[in-house]
Amino acid sequence: MVRISRVMLKEAGNAIDKTLSEILVCPLSKQPLRVCEKTKSLVSDTIGVSFPIKDGIPCLVPKDGKILEEDGDASKAC
Amino acid sequence: MHLTSRADSSLSLVSSSQGTNFAEAMALRSISRRFASRVLSYRSSSVASLHSHATSFGFQQVKEEEKSKLVGNVFTNVASSYDIMNDLMSGGLHRLWKERLVGKLSPFAGMKHLDVAGGTGDVAFRIFDAVNSVKRRALRKVDEDSLEETQIYVCDINPNMLNVGKQRAAERGLGDNKSLVWVEGDAEALSFDDNSMDGYTIAFGIRNVTHIEKALAEAYRVLKRGGRFLCLELSHVDIPVFKDVYDLYSFKVIPNLGELIAGDRESYQYLVESIRRFPPQEKFATMIADAGFEKVEYENLVGGVVAIHSAIKL
Repeated sequence: MVRISRVMLKEAGNAIDKTLSEILVCPLSKQPLRVCEKTKSLVSDTIGVSFPIKDGIPCLVPKDGKILEEDGDASKAC
Repeated sequence: MHLTSRADSSLSLVSSSQGTNFAEAMALRSISRRFASRVLSYRSSSVASLHSHATSFGFQQVKEEEKSKLVGNVFTNVASSYDIMNDLMSGGLHRLWKERLVGKLSPFAGMKHLDVAGGTGDVAFRIFDAVNSVKRRALRKVDEDSLEETQIYVCDINPNMLNVGKQRAAERGLGDNKSLVWVEGDAEALSFDDNSMDGYTIAFGIRNVTHIEKALAEAYRVLKRGGRFLCLELSHVDIPVFKDVYDLYSFKVIPNLGELIAGDRESYQYLVESIRRFPPQEKFATMIADAGFEKVEYENLVGGVVAIHSAIKL
């Protein structure tokens, strides 16, 4: 029962992510955000910052933003 | 601490080394009241009072950068008993005030609404109910599609408050409902696009913001043309005897209630002090107009204990 509800929550979370990326913008640059499935975060490409999504709630407080490292490793790219 | 006069009690709460700016501000206010020269006091102390809000945590003086963290701690501490305390402190009246706020909003199906500092969801749920009530649908023959398009965003800077809100939504069976979207964000730097919202509400939240003018500017930015701004906030009482009764209640009863029910006297002491430090109705209305809004109005409820400020972006 717990496992089933966890799966459902995850799927609901994914559906929410898509809606969110269409509506939300970066709180700093006000430019559109991109959903990153791998790291469960919203990425602001304009300024290279990623914001986490915790329990389906996107955390878009400016100080929660994590500056993305510039590295050539393609597997880390998102 | 005797409440002989408001100015005296306020001064005694602040240490002498930090008291100068505050004393000046309080003195200016009492002078202006006596001579009814409000214009003069606004011009000379408008900058000072904006700055003083950013550096005041209740009656304490704090560094601007620290205020938001201190406020954050308050709401992390009170989150779990927030709703019960509201009922107790206002004798259940806060429910009526929120009903009035939502009534003034006139929500419609398909609207995009942003409720800022709305952590536990009180206002959001009311708007949701107003839009989705069956009776309303029957009367207005609302389009089913536009009902699905209704989007109510609840934005709060404190994750604990949002979690309480999400839990309440789940308890109402709205856990998966796509119309309610919970976002952690800063009222001073909203993560919503320009001209995207039909409505913006902030209930009992704006006095906790460090820079009020930034929150108002952001509200203006995200609203569409024709969008409504509504702010419900604890405000200033001027009625002679009632004012003293209210002061007594605020400073004697509420912190004790906070200690008894929430186990946190200091947070509730902050809450009542922050009400006194917030700009009075007229001043706040001016600030809203300065942000670009038009048709700025306010309505006092319970003699000014609460005020609903409304405006439109044209």
